[in-house]
Amino acid sequence: MTDILFNVGYGHFLVLAAVLFLIGVAGVLIRRNALIILMSVELMLNAANMTLVTFSRMWGGQEGMSGHTFALIVIAVAAAEASVGLAIVVAVFRGRRNVDVDRLTTLRH
Amino acid sequence: MMRLVFVLFTAFCVLGVTHVITAAIAEAQPAPAPGKPRRPPAQVTEVKERETTKISPHGDKYEAKPSRNQPGLALLFWAFAAASVGGALFVISRRNLIAAVMGMVGSFLGISAIYMMLYAHFLSVIQMLVYAGAIMVLFVFVIMILNRPEDEPVAPSGRLGQVIGGAAIVYLVGRLIMMLINVRPPNPAVASAAPPPLPAPLPSLEKHDWGSLKAVGTDLFGPGLFPFEAISILLLVAVVGAIAIARPLGKDDGEQEEAT
Repeated sequence: MTDILFNVGYGHFLVLAAVLFLIGVAGVLIRRNALIILMSVELMLNAANMTLVTFSRMWGGQEGMSGHTFALIVIAVAAAEASVGLAIVVAVFRGRRNVDVDRLTTLRH
Repeated sequence: MMRLVFVLFTAFCVLGVTHVITAAIAEAQPAPAPGKPRRPPAQVTEVKERETTKISPHGDKYEAKPSRNQPGLALLFWAFAAASVGGALFVISRRNLIAAVMGMVGSFLGISAIYMMLYAHFLSVIQMLVYAGAIMVLFVFVIMILNRPEDEPVAPSGRLGQVIGGAAIVYLVGRLIMMLINVRPPNPAVASAAPPPLPAPLPSLEKHDWGSLKAVGTDLFGPGLFPFEAISILLLVAVVGAIAIARPLGKDDGEQEEAT
């Protein structure tokens, strides 16, 4: 028991990333506000990033740095996704006055 | 509930401090008679080989102490893990959107500290700047524009959706638990033999700081050059697309369109 508590290894980081990903999945499944769903997607991307960085550290050396490169690229993709997603949310809100994904059944307003 | 959490956290901290003190006392004592060799001989030879070649397994400038039996590090890890997981739970459970964004910022700060513990200094700073600084501010702006509290925090969406969602969550949690049960501590000999043989690094990179800006840039502008250039095109497309989508539509908001 104390071994798990006090000897922090790579497995701890991987499990933490898995838990964060699970919370993100739960957020996408149970919430219906589009903004919260976007934030949950960001959370899942972050969990994947943490897995990448952990495996990069496990590999070590200069080749292991490609994990960091991939994580940086994922961050840029997340920024692009957030900007486009928020633009869609604003456009939808302008036409319908709500951002409830259960009521969004058509793309036109 | 809060009191229970506080009591548990305090007990955990006290446990950690006592562990530190007992470890220090044990350090001060003379080493006990070795009952059995702590390491198999194969591992000893490999460690000796690494020492002779003077190549750190991770390429760190300053070789860290082995992370075993470092209760302070473990306490920091649990604190930041609790911050990130707690912030994430805050995001998916709050009805107020601003509160959800604040939980997200706390979660990102915890994740950034976790990156720092994984020697990813540059990525940690980027995480703080880009996520907590830029993306969350964007979310706050949009929430201020919308300015409507959510009607219900959890979507019932019919009995069928409820059943499917619940089954999916139960399945995922079950798989995670099965994975955690099946994790066994690695065989030390196999674990030490697991990392692939490191090729001799370039002379200029022999003692580089692992995870630093120099190491990241060396990879980003070397093997990762094409994705790096492709990302610039993606960002351009995203900027143009966001402006095109969020622009007021011509007929519906006629005054703004004619005014411009």
